[in-house]
Amino acid sequence: MSVLLAVLLLPSLFWDQGPDSAGKLRQAGIQAIAVAPANAAAWKGTTGISVAVEDPNQLTKAAPPRVTMRGNEASATRAPWVDSNGWRYLRQPDGHFYCDAPGASAALAAAEAFAYGVHAAIHTDNAGFEPLAKMLAFLQTIKDENWPSLVNIGFLDDGSAESGEFMNLLVRRNLLFRVVKQPDSKMDLNVAPGSAEYPKTEAANPSLLAAKVRANLTDEKRLLRIYGSEVVVGRLVGKGSAARLYLINYGASRGPARGLRIRVLGTFNKQEAAQFDSTETRLQDVSTDAGATEFTLPELKTFGMINLAR
Amino acid sequence: MNRRDFLQLGAAAPLLAHPAGLPKYRVVTRFEHVAGSGFPGLYPGKAVRVRSERAVDTAANRVDASVVKTMLSRGMCELTGASNDRDAWSHFISSSDVVGIKVNCSGGPEINSNPELVSAIIDNLMALGVPADHICIYDRFENQLRIVNFGPKVAAGVKIFGAENQRGSILGYDPNTFVEVNFFGEEDTRSNLIRPVSEKFTKVINVPTMKEHRASGVTGCLKNIAYGDFSNVARSHQREKSNTYSFIGTLASVEPLRSRTVLNIMDGLRSLWQGGPFLQSPRFLFFPKQLVLGTDPVALDRLLLDMIEDKRKQEGAPSLFDRSESRLKRGPELDPQYNSFIREPGHIEYASTLGLGIFDKARITEKAIEL
Repeated sequence: MSVLLAVLLLPSLFWDQGPDSAGKLRQAGIQAIAVAPANAAAWKGTTGISVAVEDPNQLTKAAPPRVTMRGNEASATRAPWVDSNGWRYLRQPDGHFYCDAPGASAALAAAEAFAYGVHAAIHTDNAGFEPLAKMLAFLQTIKDENWPSLVNIGFLDDGSAESGEFMNLLVRRNLLFRVVKQPDSKMDLNVAPGSAEYPKTEAANPSLLAAKVRANLTDEKRLLRIYGSEVVVGRLVGKGSAARLYLINYGASRGPARGLRIRVLGTFNKQEAAQFDSTETRLQDVSTDAGATEFTLPELKTFGMINLAR
Repeated sequence: MNRRDFLQLGAAAPLLAHPAGLPKYRVVTRFEHVAGSGFPGLYPGKAVRVRSERAVDTAANRVDASVVKTMLSRGMCELTGASNDRDAWSHFISSSDVVGIKVNCSGGPEINSNPELVSAIIDNLMALGVPADHICIYDRFENQLRIVNFGPKVAAGVKIFGAENQRGSILGYDPNTFVEVNFFGEEDTRSNLIRPVSEKFTKVINVPTMKEHRASGVTGCLKNIAYGDFSNVARSHQREKSNTYSFIGTLASVEPLRSRTVLNIMDGLRSLWQGGPFLQSPRFLFFPKQLVLGTDPVALDRLLLDMIEDKRKQEGAPSLFDRSESRLKRGPELDPQYNSFIREPGHIEYASTLGLGIFDKARITEKAIEL
């Protein structure tokens, strides 16, 4: 297992309305926004709201996170299609992102950016405004531990689109990795796209490549397993005797994930859950044998986190 | 926790045609086998078939509850050698037991464990002194149980439990009792046992229906107790390939399910010879009007295999053992010449290699009763 220092960042609401909307923002509990350069002057002097200037054209575009069904398309797997930005954020952990996320995807976009510790400005529509505001308020309550990510796969990213899709599949399969410039001996596995093991000729089937990574790592060494859902992605951070697991339900707009069995490698005797939009924080059937900690989260709506301690 | 992990690397494969290389199963359970209990049970290789022409009014498609009750009574006495119902049922159940009745609702409301039969079973349990609230009718899917609607048709106070009130929820399953296997690279590799089986029931009575199954060939005792008691089993089929051949027997072997399942009562009042487990066309429905009782699921399923094969032959349909690619066609199984899967009727013989019962017909004693 290796660690990578990360900075806990709060995503921001990208706002394209004028200062006459300040009351609406305050009412929703929004204390900080990002605006386009063209609107900066108008917002100058507005009290009670911190305004940052961001040019969407200068930011890296992120996609609205969600699950899409592609039942009429041939695919190598029956798993639902998860649109996650995790791979983008892991490729550019210091990047600045812009995400146009309508409706329910807005709150998810904020949770996702927060979990991956990246700077993101999120634009949404009327339907997404209130959930996003609530999510931002929730994220502000989370204690900033500034913990590094916990991973055991090193990925030698060549920056290509094929490698991006490869990383996307690793994220969706909860195969926890970070981008490395050269093989890292501290990792249980290093993955080099284009190598004999992961040849470019197989890039057309990233699902197959991800399966190969899983097989080479072995399920026993996986830091995180999530049973009971194919649309929940986790991100693990931690330091010393403590860890935190962020859980993102990409299928939240279709309903909560009911009954997630989660296995984290390592023995953690204390477990504590918190959720954005649910009071369900009981962890059931906790076990800490065989070098792993397992528990059941009865329900995950949009976003939750589990604090773990030895 | 006192877990017992072991690898089950596939017992010696039977001699039936089947692709080489069985999946690697890891069975995790804290329960030990109880010697002398469960499969193959008190009567290895013994099957009692009770048939009555009056059991079902085929014109009205209505089951006669009183005839079914008599059939059950005759079958139980024949199986155990007892002279009355109470003594017969006492071979398996005592008044202190908490009894789960594993029904099959997957083809409901047309083809499922009949409430008339389940009600007769419950009456016998209560006559032994088992309180109604110590009896539970259960299956995996709550919505299917609702369709069959046992409640108004059985004694008051009997519980009804569906493990999944929402498809895919794992809350009704025991997180510490499961079979782990990776069939096709699926992310969720666990199939967990229904929670009350390990936490509440002291005995289980298996009440499958007798029908053809498009993936496993037939669905009888083994399929009902295996796929019907564990989560996340549909993953074992993909395209034309099904892993039912080895998965069914493996699941049926898991403790405490194996030791606690003391009796099988196969409901063959109605049956299907094609398109199972669901009634895809009324022309596939037929009426054997029989119950088959025993403790040995392999022996009983062996007889079921013959029954469905005979019926298919009579209807001009290919054998359940046909593995030819030319017979494969995706979609509803409305043409009996085709199927979506390569069927795996060899799962019954495979289960015998795991010690679950007797497959060799020469060693099976079948007693037939006509009422």
